[in-house]
Amino acid sequence: MSVIAPKFKLSEFIKSLLDNVFWIILILVLIGIPAVMMILFVIEMPVINGELLTPFLALTWIADPSRILPVVKAFMATDIFRVMAFPGFGFAALLAAGTIFVERKMLAKLQLRVGPFYCGKFEGILQLMGDGLKLISKEIIIPAKADKPIFWAAPVLFVATAAAFVAFIPVAPGWVVADVEMGLLGVFAVIGFFPIITILSAWSANSKFPFIGGIRALFQMVSFEIPLILSLLGVVMLTGSLNLSEIAASQSSFPWIVFLPVGAIVFFITMLAELERIPFDLPEAESEIVAGWLTELSGMMYGLVQLGTYLKLYAFAGLFVVLFLGGWNGPMVVPPFPVELLEKGIEMGPITAGPFPGLPLFTQEMLNGTLWFVLKTVAVIFFILLPRGVFPRIRVDMLLSLGWTKLIGLAFVNIFIALGLLYAGVLGPGGLQ
Amino acid sequence: MADAVFLALAVITIGSAIAALELRSLIYGSIALMGTLGGIAGFFFLLDAPFVALFQLAVYVGSIAVLILFTVMLVKRELIFKKIEDKRRKFAGIGLMLVIMVSLGAVFLDSGIKTITTDEPAPNFRDIGIDFVTYYWPALILMGLLLAGSVTGALVLAKREDVENDQRAS
Repeated sequence: MSVIAPKFKLSEFIKSLLDNVFWIILILVLIGIPAVMMILFVIEMPVINGELLTPFLALTWIADPSRILPVVKAFMATDIFRVMAFPGFGFAALLAAGTIFVERKMLAKLQLRVGPFYCGKFEGILQLMGDGLKLISKEIIIPAKADKPIFWAAPVLFVATAAAFVAFIPVAPGWVVADVEMGLLGVFAVIGFFPIITILSAWSANSKFPFIGGIRALFQMVSFEIPLILSLLGVVMLTGSLNLSEIAASQSSFPWIVFLPVGAIVFFITMLAELERIPFDLPEAESEIVAGWLTELSGMMYGLVQLGTYLKLYAFAGLFVVLFLGGWNGPMVVPPFPVELLEKGIEMGPITAGPFPGLPLFTQEMLNGTLWFVLKTVAVIFFILLPRGVFPRIRVDMLLSLGWTKLIGLAFVNIFIALGLLYAGVLGPGGLQ
Repeated sequence: MADAVFLALAVITIGSAIAALELRSLIYGSIALMGTLGGIAGFFFLLDAPFVALFQLAVYVGSIAVLILFTVMLVKRELIFKKIEDKRRKFAGIGLMLVIMVSLGAVFLDSGIKTITTDEPAPNFRDIGIDFVTYYWPALILMGLLLAGSVTGALVLAKREDVENDQRAS
């Protein structure tokens, strides 16, 4: 007799399983398959090997790569794929999830602990999934005197703003969700929304700790936004463009950090403050004000805010890479796609497969660019995580004096370096580029 | 398409402006003010001026609205506001607004806005920047000095003498 479920009966368990299977099959037959068929009839089908791809042959697509590959390729060219999967939300969320696990494990190793260990067979690798399931299944508790509309909307708005920030980051040549002329200004506009959402969420909880945390977050974000914007002006002057793709493409021979190290340092410090990381984690100081402005958030609301925070971290690291470390530029290390696969296909003894007209799905430049971008971004994320194991939290007056005097001064020094390089003819028209 | 977007933006802007004036809750009023400022940014987008639109978002929605929220949250409303509900004041205000809008509209219509060609390409913000540092440089310098003066004044005002010096950050 089990202790956890004392009324357990194997026969009832099997009966419930069979019940579930019955309902799944019924719903699939009555709703699922007709719905799929209707969608397939609405979509305009491509012509492959001289014949129209009919929805009646849907199951043969899976078995025949020459049929499924063009469909996949056409889907990858759509905006939905860009927003949901590759340079957009899915890719960023994957990197963010990796960041959370690496952060916990690395921090534990720095402080001579083991960190997540039991969930999953190897080194607690499934801890993140366990935490996610826990957060989804937890009850959402709203404080009785909270301002409910704002309190509900704030976590969703936080994730949406972080996702909008992610949309501006170019990952590989041509692979960016929103390739706008004023990309960098768009980034500034989006960053300006974070303090509003934070302070509204903190105020609407109607509780002491969130309000103190929210006021601190507001102080910190507003005072560090100015050096953040100023530190990036040097790059804009040298590039002559506000488009992030053009800025990344302009660094094909050398990254801007070579000429503007001061701006890169100022941007990195302001980045830490905007992300509320230790040493600037006053808004969430868990040893003083419980969890700062996140105190009253529970369940999946807290999960959404955490997701947004880590999406923001990825986006800031990506912005640093694009502006100072050369974006996707790097030596070509990805081998070219084998031509035989396109012309002859695969021949293994008596079996011949192909040729596959849809391949390659990604060009060599795109794979190489993505590889270098991810490598650089992961390196920057590592340096963002590292201070958490090393530094204590700084006082709020030190934070404000750092933001308003030292960093703004250094940002102006950076602007004058950029101007000097321009007027001396080292860079820009007539110079190296 | 553009007309529908224009109408929607106009409704959002004017509606949230009225809400910002009329709502009793100051926080919701300032959120409505953010809606108004964002709607104006939308108009700039419609006018092919994304530079101005994004600065409108970054400065007005991102900073001014935050300052207003900040002030509203830290102030006890009952101490500074007395509710004066007066029908005559309300109608007088509406009448004044109508007079101002009609006169402003007359000025706009008289300024030759009808003869503007609308299918010209959007102005390049680089040209605007070049104009600023060549033809309009006295105005630019004047604005710079004005801003520097106001920032210095704000710093002087903010520097309180009653804080003991050993508690400050070095």
